[in-house]
Amino acid sequence: KQHLFAVGESGEVEVATLEDVKERFTMLVDRRDREMKEGDWDLKRRLEERKK
Amino acid sequence: AGKAADEDGEDEIDDTDDVDPTAERAAWKLRELKRIKRERDALEAVEKEREEIERRRNMDEKERL
Amino acid sequence: MSHLVDAKSMLDTRGLYEGPTVHGVNPLLLIEKIIRERIFESLYWKEHCFGLNAATLLDRAVQLTYIGGQFANQRPTPFLCLAFKLLQLQPPKEIVLFYLSQTEFKYLRALGAFYARLTFHHVEVYKTLEPYLSDYRKLKVRGQAGWRIECMDEFIDDLLTKDRVCDIALPRIPSRAQLEDLEELEPREDVLGSEGEDTETEGEGDD
Repeated sequence: KQHLFAVGESGEVEVATLEDVKERFTMLVDRRDREMKEGDWDLKRRLEERKK
Repeated sequence: AGKAADEDGEDEIDDTDDVDPTAERAAWKLRELKRIKRERDALEAVEKEREEIERRRNMDEKERL
Repeated sequence: MSHLVDAKSMLDTRGLYEGPTVHGVNPLLLIEKIIRERIFESLYWKEHCFGLNAATLLDRAVQLTYIGGQFANQRPTPFLCLAFKLLQLQPPKEIVLFYLSQTEFKYLRALGAFYARLTFHHVEVYKTLEPYLSDYRKLKVRGQAGWRIECMDEFIDDLLTKDRVCDIALPRIPSRAQLEDLEELEPREDVLGSEGEDTETEGEGDD
């Protein structure tokens, strides 16, 4: 899907539709949630290690 | 206060929401009340102004007679 | 359909601009020349705003951590750069409304609000922005004087009542009272009066 958004040789950018925007948005929300979970997990692990 | 101090400034303030939900909501309510009052006053001012224009126009007509 | 990647080409028309207009002018002219130039010179503009469209712009917008106009030595904030990018892209209204209505990223909502204020018709400005006066999430603001916190509702209120926000002169709009007097706007619904505890705020924040 990435290629859809790529800048072409002509120096023009594909115009995004509402659907493109929504799709990208969902992807970014998922990514953020995943990173937050990983962050939490990371924090827990570090706290655990500190206890030792 | 160099560039570093300015960059650090961001960490000194916190935009985390729902730290104290009750207080945050209460503060909002107060702001909202102030805005409502401000709007009411502004509307009154506009109405008064319009009445004043109306009054003068009527006066002019009487004077013309 | 496509956009030109370079905003400058939208300006370099020697007065013969034929593109879309906002309030009758080239939308980029809504930002004063001196600020436009500072945006063009900024690293953020050069490195992070090139070749974006209304969808890829989200990658940047969801990473915003503050709003504001210019800071330290009049450098434009990323927020301002993205607002300027939107003026160049001229996304359709439905996309702007999507930026505004989503609840996941508050700085994206702030960006949508700022853009809507710059480009929408005055009645639409009130109708679109007023519902967000009940969003009281905190926003970091970076200005010449440093950092501060402002809640979303205060930012929205500023957009509706002030002449300048984020160092940008906003297009003039009649006040709410004037529009009510002309019957172009219905009186605002009393969000507080109908206090059905949180039904009005649509689960803003996190109840």
